[in-house]
Amino acid sequence: MKDSTRNAIDGVLGVDRLVHEPARLAILTVLSQAEHAEFSFLEMACRLSKGNLSSHLSKLEAGGLVVIEKRFVGKRPQTRAAITPAGQAALARYREQLKALIGEVHDNRNGGEQR
Amino acid sequence: MHVNLDDLDQLAARAQRYARYSRSAGGLSSVIGGILLFASFLANAYIELGLADRVVLALAPVLWLLAKELLRVAYYQRDGRALQAPTAKERREHRWMVIYLAVVAALVLGVLAYTALEAGKMPDPDMLGYALIVAALPLVAWRWFWSVSDFLVGVLLMCQSAVVIGGGNYPAIWLIYVGACAAIAAFYGLREHREYLALRVEFAAQEARD
Repeated sequence: MKDSTRNAIDGVLGVDRLVHEPARLAILTVLSQAEHAEFSFLEMACRLSKGNLSSHLSKLEAGGLVVIEKRFVGKRPQTRAAITPAGQAALARYREQLKALIGEVHDNRNGGEQR
Repeated sequence: MHVNLDDLDQLAARAQRYARYSRSAGGLSSVIGGILLFASFLANAYIELGLADRVVLALAPVLWLLAKELLRVAYYQRDGRALQAPTAKERREHRWMVIYLAVVAALVLGVLAYTALEAGKMPDPDMLGYALIVAALPLVAWRWFWSVSDFLVGVLLMCQSAVVIGGGNYPAIWLIYVGACAAIAAFYGLREHREYLALRVEFAAQEARD
């Protein structure tokens, strides 16, 4: 097996699966751009159902990547989430891995075509 | 692998643009602020004001902040609040602006206190109103002023409010400066509003695609 192919496979296996799931990746991406965001905005921006969003947020919270705050505004319950420094770091790391992986794939493809 | 970095960048950019309307982008509230600013200076420069008129005019900053909050909650961030995370530069600028206003407010209050001590009596109620608004200025700036438009409109509106409640008025010559500030705020406000409308179109297009 070529080194570049092995690197690409290692790259795929090495990505953080908690971050890699598309819905969770979208949630982290949105939260990385704000101090905190309300549940309803995440629902709209990430195009997720309430149940789906809630489930993914819980997983991210369990992994220490986001914090969730539930409170009442008047009589209305309000949930908001914020990305933690660990979440920011995990997202940045994931993006770097993905960029490197895409680079490997391009290199392999170009190498193959040249031959 | 079905994750596209370009899609993620677009999502991040949209979230960031939406979040701006929680702090640094006032949109139509900057236009309202500009109009209120010019109208209040114009009224105070040319109209003989009674006590009730002065109180109404002094409430202009409250009216502006109310419009700002209502527009944010009911229009710009009606899909849920996303609080803008300012950059390090924006935080620094904001901090220095608040410090500057706090120093100016402290100087003004110091002079008022010194004058009162020298006179050996409590200041008049209108001077107390003036002092109260001056003291509130840095706090209001800390909470609400996140852009140049906010700073221009907010500081002038509050200064006007303090002077009006203190029984004085800015001379008509100020209208040139105030008019320029109001025009700048309205220009940026309209631009931000147009940008917001474009953002809504992008969100709608994304929804249609999904």
